[in-house]
Amino acid sequence: MSTRQLLSRVVVMGRDVDLWLCVNAISRALGPAGVNVTAIELPTRLRPFEVSATLPPLEALHSKLGIKEPTLIRATAGSFSFGQNFVAGFGLGRPLNFFHAWGAYGAGIDGSAFFPCWLKATRYGLKVSFQDFCLTAVAAKNGRMLLPDEATAAFGRTDYGYHVRTMAYAGYLKSIAANLGVKIYQAQKGLVERDETGSIAALIIDGSLRIEGQLFVDATGPDAILIGRSLDVPSDDWRQYFSVDRVLAARAPAFTKTPPFAEIRITGVGWTALHPNQAGTGVRHAYSSEFLSDEAALESASAAADAKLADVSFRTVTTSVRSRVWEGNCVAVGGSACVFDPIHDVDLHALQLGLVHLLSLFPVTGQFAVERAEYNRIMRSHYERIRDFQCAFYAVAPFGGQFWQQARGRSVPQTLAHKIATFRACGQIAPMEDETFSPDSWQAIFVGLGVVPESWPPTIDRIPPHRFNEEFHRTIEFIKGKVLEQPTHDGYLDSIGRSSAA
Amino acid sequence: MGDAIRDDHGSAPFRVVIVGGGTAGWMSAAGIRRQLETQNYSVTLIESDEIGTVGVGEATLPHIKIFNDMLGLDEAQFMRATRATFKLGIQFRDWDQPGDCYIHPFGAFGEPWGGVEFQHHWLRGQREGHQRFSLQDFSYSVVAARNNAFEFPNEDRKSIRSTYSYAYHFDAGLYAAYLRSWAMERGVRRIEGQVCNVSRHPTTGDIKDLTLKSGEHVAGDLFIDCSGFRSLLLGSVMGVAWQDWTHWLPCDRALAVPCKRVGALTPYTRSTARPAGWIWRIPLQHRTGNGYIFSSRFINEGEARDTLLSNLDGAAQGEPRLLRFSPGRRERAWSGNCVAIGLASGFLEPLESTSIYLIQAAVTDLVNLMPRPRSAGVDARLVNEFNRLNEMQYERIRDFLILHYTANRRVGEPLWDYARSMPLPDSLVHKLQLFRSRAALPGHQYGLFARDSWLAVFVGQGIVATGYDRLADAFALSALDERLSEFRNRIQTNVDAMTSHGAFIANFAPAMELANSEAAVA
Repeated sequence: MSTRQLLSRVVVMGRDVDLWLCVNAISRALGPAGVNVTAIELPTRLRPFEVSATLPPLEALHSKLGIKEPTLIRATAGSFSFGQNFVAGFGLGRPLNFFHAWGAYGAGIDGSAFFPCWLKATRYGLKVSFQDFCLTAVAAKNGRMLLPDEATAAFGRTDYGYHVRTMAYAGYLKSIAANLGVKIYQAQKGLVERDETGSIAALIIDGSLRIEGQLFVDATGPDAILIGRSLDVPSDDWRQYFSVDRVLAARAPAFTKTPPFAEIRITGVGWTALHPNQAGTGVRHAYSSEFLSDEAALESASAAADAKLADVSFRTVTTSVRSRVWEGNCVAVGGSACVFDPIHDVDLHALQLGLVHLLSLFPVTGQFAVERAEYNRIMRSHYERIRDFQCAFYAVAPFGGQFWQQARGRSVPQTLAHKIATFRACGQIAPMEDETFSPDSWQAIFVGLGVVPESWPPTIDRIPPHRFNEEFHRTIEFIKGKVLEQPTHDGYLDSIGRSSAA
Repeated sequence: MGDAIRDDHGSAPFRVVIVGGGTAGWMSAAGIRRQLETQNYSVTLIESDEIGTVGVGEATLPHIKIFNDMLGLDEAQFMRATRATFKLGIQFRDWDQPGDCYIHPFGAFGEPWGGVEFQHHWLRGQREGHQRFSLQDFSYSVVAARNNAFEFPNEDRKSIRSTYSYAYHFDAGLYAAYLRSWAMERGVRRIEGQVCNVSRHPTTGDIKDLTLKSGEHVAGDLFIDCSGFRSLLLGSVMGVAWQDWTHWLPCDRALAVPCKRVGALTPYTRSTARPAGWIWRIPLQHRTGNGYIFSSRFINEGEARDTLLSNLDGAAQGEPRLLRFSPGRRERAWSGNCVAIGLASGFLEPLESTSIYLIQAAVTDLVNLMPRPRSAGVDARLVNEFNRLNEMQYERIRDFLILHYTANRRVGEPLWDYARSMPLPDSLVHKLQLFRSRAALPGHQYGLFARDSWLAVFVGQGIVATGYDRLADAFALSALDERLSEFRNRIQTNVDAMTSHGAFIANFAPAMELANSEAAVA
C-alpha cells in the first residue's frame, strides 16, 4: 500500500456493542468521505437478559448515527436512568444512602459555586443534604422523569443515561450497520497476516477467507484478539488499585414501578447493582475472589437483590489498560483497550471516547505515526481520569467488612492522592484535563461517602448568611415544583410506546 | 482546623502583607480586598517611590475585563484614567519572513460546519482550488482591526459580531495608581518604605516580619512577593530555585521608549520581528509605547538602541530605558508562607501580552486557596494545588511563545537561525507535528491559549498542514464554496458598518487630560 494514498479501507473485528457502535460511528462519519468499513463479527458473548447502563454523552453519538430516542427505548426494552442510588444498610459500620446523579447539584449564589456555600451552611447547621439540591436526583427518587425546559436549563444540567437490554441494543446497531451498506462477515475466529513491516496486511477468517485492509480496529473486548493476542501489546495492570476481580451477572424480575435510576447496594463482601429496565432487572454483583466463592456470591447477590435470580453467569475482571491502544495499524477500542472496574458503568462511555477520538484523528493517508502518538496519549489520559474517579470511590468508602477494608488499604495514583488532599482541605476538585466526571460527580461521591472537607474557599464568606437561606429555600421550592410537573417514569415509557422486546 | 473556623469573627484578622506596588502588587491588593472579608483579612502593601516599577505601556488579554468587572470598575472611567485604547489582537510583522504580516485576533476563524472545525474546511477549499482567500479573511476581528474599526461585541450568539472579544492597551503605571486608590479607599493599608531585613521562624522557616529602612516592623501571616525581578522574598529569602528557559526564549533585554502619537489609533498591538529580537508598539491615547526586546547574545545595546529609535512613528519622548531579565520561572511560586505574584514568580516576554494575565490567574487561585483566617498556618495541600496550577499556566504559555520563534524563515540572521534549530520541549514538538500532518489544534480546557490562537500563529508563521480532517470531505464542494463566500460577505458587511477606533474612544472614554485640553482648544 502506498503511504501517500488516502486511507480508505477499514476492517473492524469484534463482537456485540463494541463492534457495532464502532462500525456505525466510522461508517456514518467517514463513509461519505470515501472510507469503506468491513465488519467481522465473532460469536456473541452476551447473556440474553444482560443490561447495559449508559452515561449521558451517548445521546450525542446516537444523534450522529440518526438514532431516535423513542425507537431506541422500544427496540431495547430500555428505560431512563438519572444516576446511581447508593445504599448501605446497617451492619456495615454506618447506614448510608446517597444519589450520584448525572444532573447538576444546586445553583450558584452571588457569583459563587453552590458547593462551597452548601458546605459552609452545613457546618453552621443546615440539615438539607447535598443530593436534595439536585433536581434530577429528587425527580428520580420520586420515580419521575425530568424533561428539560427553559427554567431547568437555567438551573443546570438535567442529563440522563439509559438501561438497555444489551443484546437487543447490539442487534439494533447491527441492523443500522447493514442499512449503511457495511459489508458483514460472520466468523468463529480470525488469524492475522502481517506484512514485512509488521503491520497487519489482512485477516484470514475461519481459515479461508482473506480480508485486506489498511487500518484494523480491535473491538473484540477483553480478549483483545488483535492487539493483545496477535500483536502482543501488553496491558498495564491496575489491580493494585482495585479489589473487584469477579462479577456475577443475573436477571431478577422487573420492579412494579420501574425506577429511573440504578441502585447500588453495598454488602460486606462487595456490592450489588440493580439495573431496571422494561424487560426485568439486570443484577450485577462485584466481589473479590479472595474473600468470596462464586456460590457465596450468588447467595449474597440474591439477598442483596431480595429476589430469585435467573440466568446466572460469572466472569473475571482484570482491571488494566493496554500500554498502547494503537499499535502499528491496529487500534483497540472498548474492552480490548481498557478494562474498568464495573462500579460506575463506564464501559460504553470509554468505548465512545475511543471512537470520538479515532474519528477526530482518523488517518488521512498511510502515514499516521503522529495520529497514533496523539491517540495513545489522549486515550491514556482519559482512561486514567476515569480510573482515578473509580479508585476514589474505593479509597474513601467507609464500609466495614474485609472487602472494603482491603479496598481502602490499597494505594492510589498520585493524581488522585492530590485530588483527595485538595478536597479534604477546602472542598475544591482540582481541575485536570480529560475528565469524564464533572466536579458535581466528584463532590457527590465524596460527600456521599462521608468525606467532609475541613474548610471552604474563603471567598464565599463575603456572602451574607441570609442570602444562603434565601437561595436554598428558593432552590428547594423550585425543585419541588418542577418535580411535581414531571410525568412518572412508567407514564413516560407508556407515552413513547412500550417495547415489544419486553 | 475544623474548630478554628467555628467562629471567624471577633478576633484578630489574618494578616496579608504585600511587598511591592506596581501592577502585580495592586492587582493582588485589590483582588484580595474585593473577594475576602475585611474583618477576616487585613491587607498591607509596602512600596517605595524610590524603586521604579517595570510597568511600561501595557497590552492585555480579554480576561482583564473579568478582573475589572469583579472589582466593579466602570469601564469608561477606568479607560479614561489609564488613557486606554481597545485591542482586538496582535499584529505580527516580518515574523515568518520579512514582508509577512498576520494578526492573532481575540476571536474565531470562520465557524464549524457539520461538527468539523473551520480550518479543515478552509484547507480543503484552498486545496481543491476554489478558494484562495487567506485564513485571516475569515476572522471578524482581523478584518475589523485592519480597518481600524471598533465596536463592542454583540451578545446575541447567532450574530457574527459575537465571535470576538477585546482587551485594552493602557498605561500600567496609571492602572496601578487607579487600583491603588480603589484599594486604599476600601481599607488596604499602604506603607511607604523599603524592606531591609526579613526575620524568619527558626524551625518552620516561615517569614515572621519585615523590617523597613525606617525601623518599622511589619508582621504578617502570609507574605506576597510582588517585588518584581528581584524576587526579594521568594527568591532571596526563601531560596526557591530559578528554572531558566533562555535556551528556548533567548531574549534577555528590553529597551523601552514612548513616542509621540501620530496617525490613526490602531486597535491592535504590533510586534515587528528584527534581526536580534522584536519591537513592540502599543498605542495609547496620548502616546505610543515602544520597545525592543532583544538577545544580548546577538546584538549590543547601542545597536539595539539605534534600531529602536529609527523605527518609531513619532518623536521619542526621552531616552530609552534598559531592562534586564531572564525568561523562566521559580520552581514553586508558593513556598512556606510566601507566595510570589508577577515578575517575582517568573518572566515570560510580553510577546503575547500574558504578564497581567498571569498576575490575574495567580490572584484568582490565591483567593480561592487562601488559608482560613485564624488557621494555625499555611495548608501544604493548598500550596501544592496553587503551585500545580501556576506551573501549568506558565508551561502552556511558554510553548506558545516558543512557536513564534522556532517557526520562521528568516535565514541568515543568527538569532532566528538559532531559534529554527534549537531543541524544543516535547509538548511543543507534538503540537507542531499534529498541525503539520492534519491541521489538528491543541485542545486543552485550562490555561492559555485557545484553539483559534494556535491556528492564527501556526498559519501565520507559515506552517503548512499537509492534511486535514477526513470528515470535511463528507461535504459537497459547491456548498463549501458558497459557505465560505457567504461568511466573508457577512464579515465585510458588518465591519463596514463599524465606527473607527479613534472616534469610538473619543466618544466613549477620552482620557481625562486630553478631554480637558480639547475642550480648552474649542
